[in-house]
Order: sequence, then structure tokens, then C-alpha cells
Amino acid sequence: MRTARFRRTRRTSAVTLVSALTLTALAACGTSSSGNGSGGSEGGGSSDPAAPLDPKTKVTLTIDCMPPTAKAAELKEWKEDVAAFNKTYPNVTVEGRSTAGQCLEPPRFTAMLKAKSQPDVFYTYFTDLPQVLDNDGAADITAYVNDRSVPLLKDIDPDVLGSLKQDGKLYGLPTSNYTMGLLINRELFRRAGLDPDAPPRTWQEVRAAAKKIAGLGEGIAGFGEYSAGNTGGWHFTAQMYSVGGEVVDASGTKAAFNDELGKQVAENMHAMRWQDNSMGKTQLLKWGDLQKQIATDKLGMFLAAPDDIAYMVQQLGAEYENFGMGPIPGEKNTLAGGNSYMVKKGISGDKIKAAIAWLNYKNLTVGKGQFDWARTKADKLPVGIPQPNFWLNESKAKDDAARVEHATMPVANFKTFMDNPVAGKAEPPKAQEVYKVLDNVMSGLLTNKDADIDKLLATAESQVNQVLANQ
Amino acid sequence: MSAPSLTPSKAAPAPDSRPRPDGAEPPARPFARSLRRNLTAHGFLIGAVLCFALFSWYPMVREFFLAFQKTEDGQTTWVGMDNLVTVFNDPAFWQAWRNTLLFTVLALVFGFAVPFAVAVVINEFRHGKGYLRLLVYLPVMLPPVASVLLFKYLYDPGYGLLNELSGFFGLPEQQWLQDPDTAMLSVVVASTWMNMGGAALIYLAALQGIPGELYEAAELDGAGVLRKIWHVTIPQTRLILSLMLLMQIIATMQVFVEPFLLTGGAGPEGSTTTVVYLIYQYAFNFNNYGAAAALGLLLLVLLAGFSAAYVKLSRAEDE
Amino acid sequence: MSTRTLISPAQLARPRGKALYWVTFAVVVGGFTLVFLGPLYWMISSGLKDTQEVIQTPPTLVPGSFEPENYARAWDVMDLATLLFNTLYYAFGALAFQLVLDVAAAYSLSKLRPVLGKAILGMMLATLMIPAAVLVVPQYLTVLDVPVIERNLLNTPWAIWLPSVTNAFNIFLLKRFFDSIPKELLDAASMDGASPTRTLWSIVLPISRPILGVVSIFAIVGVWKDFLWPMLTLPDPAMQTLNVGIYSLSNGVPVNVLIAALTIASVPTLLIFLVFQRNIMSGLTAGGLKG
Repeated sequence: MRTARFRRTRRTSAVTLVSALTLTALAACGTSSSGNGSGGSEGGGSSDPAAPLDPKTKVTLTIDCMPPTAKAAELKEWKEDVAAFNKTYPNVTVEGRSTAGQCLEPPRFTAMLKAKSQPDVFYTYFTDLPQVLDNDGAADITAYVNDRSVPLLKDIDPDVLGSLKQDGKLYGLPTSNYTMGLLINRELFRRAGLDPDAPPRTWQEVRAAAKKIAGLGEGIAGFGEYSAGNTGGWHFTAQMYSVGGEVVDASGTKAAFNDELGKQVAENMHAMRWQDNSMGKTQLLKWGDLQKQIATDKLGMFLAAPDDIAYMVQQLGAEYENFGMGPIPGEKNTLAGGNSYMVKKGISGDKIKAAIAWLNYKNLTVGKGQFDWARTKADKLPVGIPQPNFWLNESKAKDDAARVEHATMPVANFKTFMDNPVAGKAEPPKAQEVYKVLDNVMSGLLTNKDADIDKLLATAESQVNQVLANQ
Repeated sequence: MSAPSLTPSKAAPAPDSRPRPDGAEPPARPFARSLRRNLTAHGFLIGAVLCFALFSWYPMVREFFLAFQKTEDGQTTWVGMDNLVTVFNDPAFWQAWRNTLLFTVLALVFGFAVPFAVAVVINEFRHGKGYLRLLVYLPVMLPPVASVLLFKYLYDPGYGLLNELSGFFGLPEQQWLQDPDTAMLSVVVASTWMNMGGAALIYLAALQGIPGELYEAAELDGAGVLRKIWHVTIPQTRLILSLMLLMQIIATMQVFVEPFLLTGGAGPEGSTTTVVYLIYQYAFNFNNYGAAAALGLLLLVLLAGFSAAYVKLSRAEDE
Repeated sequence: MSTRTLISPAQLARPRGKALYWVTFAVVVGGFTLVFLGPLYWMISSGLKDTQEVIQTPPTLVPGSFEPENYARAWDVMDLATLLFNTLYYAFGALAFQLVLDVAAAYSLSKLRPVLGKAILGMMLATLMIPAAVLVVPQYLTVLDVPVIERNLLNTPWAIWLPSVTNAFNIFLLKRFFDSIPKELLDAASMDGASPTRTLWSIVLPISRPILGVVSIFAIVGVWKDFLWPMLTLPDPAMQTLNVGIYSLSNGVPVNVLIAALTIASVPTLLIFLVFQRNIMSGLTAGGLKG
């Protein structure tokens, strides 16, 4: 499970498909041979894609985002899950690949697609779909995914599955989903005389709370924001959504943030940074930096997805009890996204079936794999974080009950977040390019006391328009 | 430091070594012999030539093509000056050139003057030269990512050491990398620390080649230290100095790693966006290879002038 | 060695001159130690601090906490062993390729003098005129799909090794050196019936040791310090170099662990430098002028 979000839009046009096909024709043979040419010769599986994997089928499956050794508990669970999976499918070898850092970083991901070096089953963000299809990287698994291969299919939130579909075809299975909220440091809230059970709900309240927290001194910041590595633009987008704004207009061809709402967002942040001095001195931060600050009690609040908490506890040694969450301030819309696995295009039908069987066991079964909360608790990993949660109906009821039963952290800390759901909104087209441009707006606001907000927005607008025109 | 011997130990430079007609053996079949000789010779060359062809010459040609092409939906079409127009219309274009020039100028002030001054000073010492040389060159050997991230940490306006130091000396606190006005300067200082060792050592070697009599003669004319530097040291090392100057211009105009790692590339309000970073961004963030190549071509044209001057000068130095 | 320099010996011999000399000397030695070793001390000691102390204002000069396990954690979490191994593998591979192919080429151009040799040398030297940064994009596209052999070299060591051969400067250095080897020496060998390969191996190479040392240092340091190219061509975390690997993991670990990792990453080159400092520094001043 990881958290940095660089999402690409899920909008694509037929054009990308055509280009994807052309690219295949042009593509040279890669040096990486993983997954190529295993054909049907390996096993005795049925040729009907709708039939689930025949347990006798012998295949080897490479898959990325296996937990690295540093995440000992998660790795142990992975191995247990592989062993359990092999009880049903003894002839499937799951060959995991791990990354010491984040499973997915956009530049590396791009290069991987270009090199066609992705493993048979590869980890993606929801917004990666257009890029994957542009590079002809993922297999259409529509025919393989049904209530026989994924029994709980009907209980998976259709919005989440929709993120993995293009022109009605399914290209991936979700592992997690998120919506952004306001993550707070409860300890600092208490010390500043604020109520940690009532996180700020509007941007005015955020500003007032930030001022109080920054008043504690010791280099503590009240509210933090990113301004580099595309994450500045990502959060500018989240802030625009939160006040009901848009970043790109409905047609997908014009920038839409250079308006009153955009100005309001910009002015608010500039004022917090320079009038109130409540956003800390250190800027040009990117994903990971604010987490480090809040984990060491140097930051009061920032916009984040709930699973950041798991990251901070495991990697940065923070305590669960110290965090709480409220909905995104403004509460008009919130940026929504998630992660998934896709299957490499060109691998055999049996491999696709094996991949789906594994993903179903590991990520899509209530009470098993990642939803085995009893085990998660036993392994001292967090239980009780509200997301990922893409279940509906009775699966949701069952899963929610298990979460509460095995909770390792005060679930009440997330009550405000849970009780006030905000409508999710997908990211803009060409998200990464747009974010890159918007990084400059953020860094301008947060590093230049005399920033000319109109000029910042106007410059970014013209650059985003150029980016959107070039597609 | 003794100048390293780069000539073969045994001998003086030899003139042309074209195989001469062998006296003992009559040149019976000159053609066959020359063919064989050529085949062997090209056999020795072929590996390097292939590498050059694939990874140097071909990309050079491709750069020119890319600059005037656009690839859309797998179709490559000629678009004439479109890419250049795109590049010119980018609001970041002039900013990137301004930043690059600023970096170059600052890097010359620091990266050119400082190592020279350091070399002149070290050269005066009768003790500890080896130690000082070692110190100055030490950062050059560090992996760049270590030096750069270390500086990022030192520069941090919150917990960084530099603000603590400037507070100690009664200087106002700075935002260093975080302020559009000081970001580039901070990058240059870090870059100078990382890279000045090489230049300082080269100057040091050059200084040791200055005949002492020249200083004596200047002293007879009553020259002070500064006048001696101006009238003896600098003229005597002029050639090296100009070579290094050109080299530095060529290198600093291509700066990428330091701003990329220190400020994420663009920096506060785009104040550390350099031309090469813009090229990188076009190619690897925006997937627009045409624009990247067009901007690269502009940089190439500009730097070609400096490169030509450099080659001419280094020929002169060889003589 | 004590040649005459800027300040006359007479001036230095005077009491005032002597005092001034020692004061300047002390200031310079102290200042340089602070400027160049200070940050290194800071790096090593910050790697020992705990998470809170490392980001504390004001910073502490001597660590108040002592957590050497940060170093162990950095080693594990960032998988420094793999990164280190990769970097060495690429560096020495590149060295091998350059030593074999570039030496052969320079020898051929200098001593065997084939037809079109001058033109080939000219074209090689011309690449020095092209700024490396400009070539990165077309080179990257080439590596994605190498013409003729139609291979994608991304995520393979070849992406580092083969382009490293196109080092015109090293070829130039080597050729200039070979040019100065007296032909009598080689003629004598060929009279004895030695083939060009044999001549190269048993006569040319042994007397070329100094230049081979210089070229080797350039080759290794070049790969060791490179950042942009390996970042683009080796995206797979299991294949990354030390520079790129640490950079891409830098925001996923606490500050103290990151700094410990930086310290570890600096050790190998510092050791190499301290051991070979004479060769490195003399090689640099000899060859660096043209680089």
C-alpha cells in the first residue's frame, strides 16, 4: 500500500487507442522477455476466458510492488498469502518484485512502459490508464473478470471499477482507493488549545487553527503544502476542487483555474504563508516531506489521504493515536483516486487467469489477503483507517464490522472524516503535465512574499493551455 | 607537485610513423599489403566506430530531424518551424535563458575567480600544500547526490546550519533556496563547493610553471603583490585561464543536476529553471520531443561558438 | 621544488613577513578545513542523531542522541548493497569497454593509419563540440530502439557501457600519447614478425601505463558521478545506481536515515580518492585541460 499520488486522467479518446495500436506495429522487440511467448503450451487450462483458472495449470507470474524487506510485517503477510494461494493453485508460481522506495514513481513508470519491462502484473495509479494504453501496455481483461473469477465483483464500488475502464473495457483490478481529507496532528491541536476531535471544516477555520498552532514556536508549522515534484500542482488541484473550482474545463482543452476561485485559493495560501507565518519556512516540499514533518510533531495539518497514516507509522516511526482526520475543508468536492494492478498485454490467457486469481485472493476477498484484519492486527499493522474501502452492500457491512472489531487505533479519530463524506472528483486530463505547471504557482505563493498572483495564474494558464493543445 | 609524465618514459616525441617501404623485402605486392594493413587497422577501429555511429553520430543527426518533426499517433510529420514557435511562445522560455545566463555569470564569479584565488594562495605556502590540495579536491569525489542533498539540508531555513551560522555572525536570516531572489545564488555556491577542486588544481599546476625571474624583475620595478598578480601571474597563465573560462561557460550553460536536486528543477517561482531543465521537462514530463530538440538546437548553436573558440585556443596551447 | 613564487623569499624572511605568513597560513588552513571538512562532519554526525534532534532548531553541533543504527537502517531500507554493486558493475564495465575499444581505436588511428582514419578521427573529435545536454534526448530515443540491431537497451547495463565508449576526449588523449611513441620501437617489433595486436599488447601498452591510468580514472569517475543518463536509462529500482537510487528514495525515509545513507554512499569514493590521490590529481591536471 502506498500513497503518493501522481494520477493521470482517465479520460482518453479513440485517438490514443489508435496510437497505441500503431505503436505496437512500430515497437521494436524489447530486451526484456518477461511474460512473452509462454503461450498455451505450459498448462492444461481452458481456452474459454470466462472460465476461472484450472488449478492444474502451471504458470509463473511476475508481479511488482511486493513489500520490500524493510516492511517486514507486510512482506511476511505477502508470503503467507502466496502460500495460502498455492494451496488452491499449487502450480502457479508468484514471483514478486519489490522496490525499496515507492512502488510507483511517474518517471520510472513511464520509462518502464517505454521499455515494455513491466512484469506480468504491474502496479498503477487509477490515472495511469491512458498512459498505459498509449504504450499498449495492458491487456483487456473484461472477458476474464466475472463473478466466477472474482466472486465479490458485484460488491465493488462501480465508480472505482469505472476508473479502470476505457470504452467499456476493463484493464485492471483495484487494490485501494482514497479521497483526500485534512490530516491533523492531535498532539499539536491539544497543545495549541484546539479540539482534536473537531478538525477545521472551512478554509477560514484552517487559517485560524494554523495560526494558533504556529504560535507554539519551535519551528512548528500550522498548515503545510507541497510546491515541487508535481505534488504542488496536485494539491492546488485538490484545493480548487474543495472550493468547487475546476482546473481544466469540461471540454478538456482549456485551463479553468484562472478565475475568482483560483485567486481565492491562491490568496488564502499566500496570506497564511506571509501574513500569518503559519506555513513554515521550508518550502519546495514534495510528497514525503510533509509526512516527515507531521510525524515529528513539526506540522499541525495538511491535505492527505487516510493511508498516509499507515505510511507514517511504518516508515517514519510515528504513533497512530497522534493522528486524526476531517473532511477536506470547503467540502464542495474532493480529489479521489486509487491504485490498481494491470496485466501486461501479450501474456497468455492462462497467465491472465492466474493473475486474476491471485489479485482476487490478495486484494478482493473480504476476510482474506489485505482484508484479513485479524492478521493485520496480530502483525501490528494499522487497522481502523477508513480507506481503502471500495465495498458495497453486505461485503461492506462485513468488512466494516471486522475493521471495528480488530481496530488498533482509535477509530473515533476519523469520525469527522467518515461522517462527512465529500463527493469525489477525478483528476484533470494530462494530470501530470498540468500539475507540473501548477507547481510553479504553489512555489511562487509560498516562496515569494511579493508574489504577483494574477501573473502567476495567467502564466500557468497559458502553459496549461499549451499542454492541453499538444495532445 | 611534479608534473606527471605523460610522454613515454624512454623517448622523445617521434615524428610520423607511417610504415616505410621495407628495405629487406621488395614491395612486390603493394596493393595486397596495403589492403591487409587497412583491414587490420579498421578491425581495430570498428568497435569504437560502431559505438560512435550508434550513440553519437546518429543521435546528432536525429537531433536536427527531431527539431523539425512532430510525432503524433505514431505518425511522424514535418512541421517546419512549429516546434521553435512553441518553444518561443512558452512563458518559461525567456525566464530559462535569463536564469541560465544568471547561473553562468554567477558561476564565473564564484567558480572561476574563487579557484584561481585559492590556487594563488595555496601556491604561496611553503607548508601543507598537499593537505590543502586534498581538501579542495575532496568534494569532487563525492557522489553528486550526497553533496547536493547535504547542501539542501544545510540550506534549510528551518533547521539548517547556515541560518544558524549567519545568525552567529549577526547576518539576517535567509530563505536561501526558498526565495526566488537568492535561490540561484545558493545553487551556485553549492555547485562551486562541489566542483571547484578540479579547476583549482589545474591553476595550481599552471602557477608552478611561471618562471620566478619574472617576479624578481617585477619587484625591481617596485611592483606590489597585486601588481605582480596583474602583470605577471595573470598574463603568464592567460592561456589556461581563457581555456578554463570557455570550458566553464560551456559546462555551466548546461547546468542541470544541481538545480534539479536542490530545488526540484523549477525552483521557487521558476527561478532556477534552466534551459537544460526546460529541455528535460519538454522531453520527459510533457513527452514533447520536438520542442525539446528545438530548444536543444538553440543551445547547440549558442554553445558552438564557444566550443569553436575553445578548440582554436587549445590548439594554440598544444603548440 | 621550492620555486620562486609571488611573494619574494626576502620578504618572507623578515620577521613581519614571517608572522604574516603564519597568520595567513593558519587562517587558510583553518578556513579550508571548516569549509571542506565541516559539511562532511555535519553529515556524519547528523546521521547519528535521532529523528527529532536532526530537525531541531537550533541544530546541535555534537549529537545529543546517539543512534548508530540509523546507518544499519539506511543500508537495509535503501538497499545500498545493491545500489553500490550496480554502480561498481557499470563503472568497471564501462572501463573495460573503453579500455578495449578506445585503446584499439586510438592505436589504429595513431599507428596503423587506415584509409579515412583522419576523417574518422575528425568526426569523433567533432562530437566534443556538441553539448552533452543537447544530445540526451536523441540519445535516449536511440537507446529505446537502437537502429540496425533493433534492441531496447533500457534497463540493461549496455545503456551505460556502449555510450561510454563514445568518449572522444579519451581517444584523443590516448592517440596523442601513442603518437609520441618512437616508431623505431614498433618497427623493431614488426621486423620480428609481431602482429599489430602483439605489438600493441607487449610494447605499446606497457609503456602507456600513465595514460591508461588517467583514462581509467576518467572512465570510472564519469560513470560514478553521472546522474541524468542513468536516471533516464535505468528506471528499474533493482538496476539503479547509487546516485539515482538514493535520490529516488530520498523522500521515503526519515531525514537522519537519509543522511546516514549519504555518508555511506560517500565512503567508497573517498577511500578510493585517499588511496589513489596522487594518480588522480596528477591525471586530472595533465588531462583535465581538455576535458
